[in-house]
Amino acid sequence: MPRRLTIGAATILTLVVLWFLVTSVLGLIAPGRFPSPQATIAALDHVLFRGYAGGTLVEHVVNSLRLVLLGFLVAIVTGVPLGLLMGWNRTAEALINPVFLIIRPIPPLAWIPLAILWLGLGDGAKIMVIWFAAFVPSVINAYAGVRTIEKPVLEAAAMLGTPKLRFIVEVLVPAASPMIFTGLRLSLQASWTTLVAAELVGAFYGLGRVLNVAQQDLYPGMILVGMIAVAILGWATTKGLGMLEARALSWNQAAALAGKG
Amino acid sequence: MGVIRFDNVGRVFGAKSNPFVALKEIDLEVGDKEFVAIVGPSGCGKTTCLRLVAGFDFPSSGKVLVDEQPIRRPRPERAVVFQQFALFPWKTVHDNIELGLRNQSVAKAEREERINRILELMNLTAYAKHFPHQLSGGMQQRVAIARAYVLDPDVLLMDEPFGALDAQTRVVMQEELVRLARRNPRTVLFITHAVEEAVYLADRVAIMTRAPGRIKEVLDIRSIREAEDWDSYEKIEDVMDLESFVHLRTHIWRSLREEKAAATA
Repeated sequence: MPRRLTIGAATILTLVVLWFLVTSVLGLIAPGRFPSPQATIAALDHVLFRGYAGGTLVEHVVNSLRLVLLGFLVAIVTGVPLGLLMGWNRTAEALINPVFLIIRPIPPLAWIPLAILWLGLGDGAKIMVIWFAAFVPSVINAYAGVRTIEKPVLEAAAMLGTPKLRFIVEVLVPAASPMIFTGLRLSLQASWTTLVAAELVGAFYGLGRVLNVAQQDLYPGMILVGMIAVAILGWATTKGLGMLEARALSWNQAAALAGKG
Repeated sequence: MGVIRFDNVGRVFGAKSNPFVALKEIDLEVGDKEFVAIVGPSGCGKTTCLRLVAGFDFPSSGKVLVDEQPIRRPRPERAVVFQQFALFPWKTVHDNIELGLRNQSVAKAEREERINRILELMNLTAYAKHFPHQLSGGMQQRVAIARAYVLDPDVLLMDEPFGALDAQTRVVMQEELVRLARRNPRTVLFITHAVEEAVYLADRVAIMTRAPGRIKEVLDIRSIREAEDWDSYEKIEDVMDLESFVHLRTHIWRSLREEKAAATA
């Protein structure tokens, strides 16, 4: 692990040095196309302390993060139970699947214009679009999670006389949880993608708004700051979810370590 | 009580136009606290017999009764031990065994007492807090047997329970099951394709034919076992050396081989 860490750090350092060389030192890339490290730091200083595109960096970050988490939560709170229901109940599957087949091919971003038309440029439209985007992976993976439960496990639960509610909480959900978490990870990624896109199209603040304004201002340093901020936030939230998953699926982790033996 | 009775049972799978007759005219009675093994070639429908008693499947004709009552659904009184163990991997050994007792609303103190007793009996006490994946196959199957036995079921249904274990583990488990079954007798329906296992464990052995599955012959092992006092031998290999054991085993082998010959002819 330390060895991997060292190599990783060395790679990043090399990239930064290269970046510095081709921009500031050698001037191979024009500053109008891609910013130098100094220009990026200056842009960071600008948005961090003086504010840009309607707010400081912290305000933009807090706003984007809040919307992503809200949209993500709404999506999984509705999507996971629906997926479980579809996996478990044939009638529910037969009823819902056709609707799903129609909606699923529509790229989530295609909902943005309609969402803005309905709910304006505020939070509501963003949450709605994130919901649409993050909902699908949550449903599909929870559904697949139920469908892949081994039959003897279900029969064992029945043989032990497990009542319905306890069956759902202690058998169905844990058995499907590895797949459910796969769905959550995809949902979270979809949430970030859609939020940035939705803020690019129309927003009062947020990281997508920063990117949009910086593009109009021909401000490459600020564009890069916005991109890096999105990358760090996406990484951090994914990491957080990963930690939650490791805790919830510790029994599965043990299985992976034991080589399924 | 726990008397199982198959009354002219048939089971047909598939479409009406292309039916597959899995079981035909099965008549068999397993008495209270009797240990009956069904042996037969793979695909002969022996597991289907067990699933009918468990309530996982239902006969197409005839009746399967437990204590003269028809079976409507799976119940803890008819506990099942599966070939692939079917433990809940997200629950510890303790919690796997506890679920059935909680479902029956057994009080906490009594639950713990019963769990501790069965853990001790199955040599699992040190593993109570382990997860199934941390255990070997033999240990996992012990947990599955404990999970069934702790319910104090009328009927214990074992579907090739040692089929997934290696030969050495298998022998140890067979010896332990004999120990458990003699000490704490239950009505047991035991499915296997291993002839020695059936002879060693069962009071009676039912031999099944290949599809359509019928019961060809039922052998009484118990009277011979008691006459020769097999249970006084500690190890399975000592019993397997006895002339009476060899004789029974050979008889069943012949009977099964006739089936094989009939199928390939």
